[in-house]
Amino acid sequence: MTLRLGRHRFDDASLVMAIVNRTPDSFYDRGATWAEDSAFDRVAQVADEGAEIVDIGGVKAAPGGVVDEDEERRRVVSFVERVRTAYPHLVISVDTWRASVGEAVCEAGADVLNDAWGGADPALVDVAAKYDAAVVCTHTGGVTPRTRPHRIAYDDVMADVLEATLSYADRAIAAGVAPESVVIDPAHDFGKNTVHSLEVTRRLPEMVATGYPVLVSLSNKDFVGETLGVALEERLTGTLAATAVCAMAGARIYRVHEVVPTRQTLDMVASIQGRRPPARAIRGLA
Amino acid sequence: MTRPASPIRVVVVPSAPALLPEHAGLTDPVAEVRAAALDACRWLAAAQAPVVVLGADDLALRVGRHLLSTTHTGPVQALALPDTPAAGELDALLVVADGTARRSEKAPGHLDERAAPYDEAIGRALADGDFAALAALDLGLGAELLAAGAPTLAALGGLLGGRTVGEARTTYADDPYGVAYWVTRWTVSP
Repeated sequence: MTLRLGRHRFDDASLVMAIVNRTPDSFYDRGATWAEDSAFDRVAQVADEGAEIVDIGGVKAAPGGVVDEDEERRRVVSFVERVRTAYPHLVISVDTWRASVGEAVCEAGADVLNDAWGGADPALVDVAAKYDAAVVCTHTGGVTPRTRPHRIAYDDVMADVLEATLSYADRAIAAGVAPESVVIDPAHDFGKNTVHSLEVTRRLPEMVATGYPVLVSLSNKDFVGETLGVALEERLTGTLAATAVCAMAGARIYRVHEVVPTRQTLDMVASIQGRRPPARAIRGLA
Repeated sequence: MTRPASPIRVVVVPSAPALLPEHAGLTDPVAEVRAAALDACRWLAAAQAPVVVLGADDLALRVGRHLLSTTHTGPVQALALPDTPAAGELDALLVVADGTARRSEKAPGHLDERAAPYDEAIGRALADGDFAALAALDLGLGAELLAAGAPTLAALGGLLGGRTVGEARTTYADDPYGVAYWVTRWTVSP
């Protein structure tokens, strides 16, 4: 199914969305790309590694220092402009829940509004519609932005994910967002304990069956760390295992820190499924 | 049966499964030999006559048919050994055969010191259009050296015996993966 992310159109390929943090305190990179030039170097690197999308964020997801709208705009808007100019073929996504920030980054050339907080600001979809941008509809279990899940319980976590993401998708389309530009995301770890995140991974085919392209954000998250009992810097193997499972299920977009290992995992799965030829086959065929 | 007045065109190409489309990757590990084989098939097709494909087995015939599929629009008749065509009725012959597969330690059959001289003899016979030398190939040794094309090359030598070669040209001779490949063109007296 065709997927349109702003001015970019994709048929059935898996897409890698590289995380670019303009934050001093995000959980994995701990401010490594806080300086604008470092963030710009990160964009150059991931573009070179073959990422189709960069996801630029100015506010860390976890609780922390207040980042108001003005500060968020200062962190991302001119940066989006700079990336847009330097990399016209790169899809630019901005990780924000605020409509006012969404408006400013769309003006600056963003293609996707990645709302990790499940529609907390109801006007975000109007902005996406106004600028013909794509929108990522996530499930958060109804929590307030930048809070951790505490004793959240579901009768059926996937039923709640489907209900929330599909009603968000309906709202987006009703607001005027093109249906081919609506993406759904179960949002691992958001409003979920580790058992919930494992279950949504296992049951991802139920999301794929809706027909909306599915984005998964698995990279180095706590559910991987808790599942394997490993520290933050030892989560790549578990991340890639989860990536392979989601790829088998038919997810389309992978939001990641490590581009090359992710791409190799996706290529391997696609070739096992017979959707991609090997790079080069000569063993036994000379 | 009237004999064709023009010379018989004969082309020899390897029987590598990597040439078949079902094994295609994102990059072609046999691009060079494929290009040479397709060139030779275009030359064969320029005879504007039915083409007979001769090979040892189904693989060889599939490779031959595939190479002709994009280069030749006329009729194709495929013959697997022990069947062979009658030379007197031939216009254009595509022979799908290659040499040993034991030319190096990385070769499919590992290294056998006897492989290099065996292939050298085939290469010389192809370059010279020496039918008698091909007909005299030691097929027992060829089997030991995994030379899948040796019986076909011997049959080729036999069926053309007594005729004379006009032009003989080998445009490719190499063993990129430890198997000896040649692409050769002959014109043979009708």
